[in-house]
Amino acid sequence: MKRLLPSLRAKKRYLAFELISEGPASRSDLVKEVMSSASSLLGDVIASECDIKVLGFEDWKGIIQCSHTKVKETRASLAALTRINGKRATLHILGTSGTVKRVTEKFLQNLKVFEPKVETKSRTTEE
Amino acid sequence: MGKPKFYDFCVHAIPDGDNTAPELAALALHFGYSGITLANHSDKLPQSRHVLSSTDGFEVFKGIELVEENPSKLHGLIGKFRKSVDVLIVHGGSETVNRAALENPRVDILNHPAFDKSSGLNQVLAKAAAENGVAIGLTLRPLLNSRGSRRIRLLSDLKANLELARKYEVSLVLSSDAMSGFDLRSPMETLALAEVCGLEEDEAIDAMSTVPEKIISRNRPGPGYIREGVEVLEEGDYF
Repeated sequence: MKRLLPSLRAKKRYLAFELISEGPASRSDLVKEVMSSASSLLGDVIASECDIKVLGFEDWKGIIQCSHTKVKETRASLAALTRINGKRATLHILGTSGTVKRVTEKFLQNLKVFEPKVETKSRTTEE
Repeated sequence: MGKPKFYDFCVHAIPDGDNTAPELAALALHFGYSGITLANHSDKLPQSRHVLSSTDGFEVFKGIELVEENPSKLHGLIGKFRKSVDVLIVHGGSETVNRAALENPRVDILNHPAFDKSSGLNQVLAKAAAENGVAIGLTLRPLLNSRGSRRIRLLSDLKANLELARKYEVSLVLSSDAMSGFDLRSPMETLALAEVCGLEEDEAIDAMSTVPEKIISRNRPGPGYIREGVEVLEEGDYF
């Protein structure tokens, strides 16, 4: 099928996030919880308008895509996520941008320095 | 106007919650808060006072959340703790406690006013809250950890209180009421959640930055403070 013209494609925002969790979490677990929390907080109609997709997730950080007009709703539904696999978890959004490249450069590359300290600290104390 | 500073005014540490105070403070700093208030419930106070460290741009305030069913005992507790804490919160939940808290100008915040089938406020109590400068606390933890009918109830209570607060100009404080680090959310996400739940953007920002700052400046008077409205100014401080 022919691809849509760039001007006709829906505009998106990319949210960089880190996951702070008690136990290990896979990408599919995360996707499931993100979707269920969005549909429970916003309802299926608005959740569908948000167009939330988990693009990548590894090493406790990743990128989530959403519609550019629904960043607030997406943030709220990600904040409402409390558990993954029955283990307590928090999704912390580091920042948003309009391209994957920019969001990776700006928020995920520098993250390695600071993030593990706090994360391991809060994780080990919970175990 | 610069970037507002955000505060989380109700966080519970060990033995009330799961995490120690320094852990919660480190996480809150990482999330971008400028300060948190450790407000353990008064029936679960730590044996010894926490050593509260304040680094640059981040402060841990002393607070307490009073739990008491009897109004006259509550007033006694308020008198007992008022001098030693920066933020005094009352844990509401019945008509008499809500009324006692909102009619006492020495109280800063009333949390969880809702009970049975009521949102916990009415026009009389809202007027009293506005007169005495008591803020209504909106807490995040119950909203996050419940789903379905329970969350619907919480949201409709919130909406009812919000409308009363708008009409009578009662100030609001948005806090996490965190029992562990996993209940903390960063300021931007708290704002987004509050807006989805029906607050306006400026109301939500006020509830996380302006109102908490006012409470702190009210309870930490400057060095020349004598009584309300009377203050000794240093030379050169006049203008």
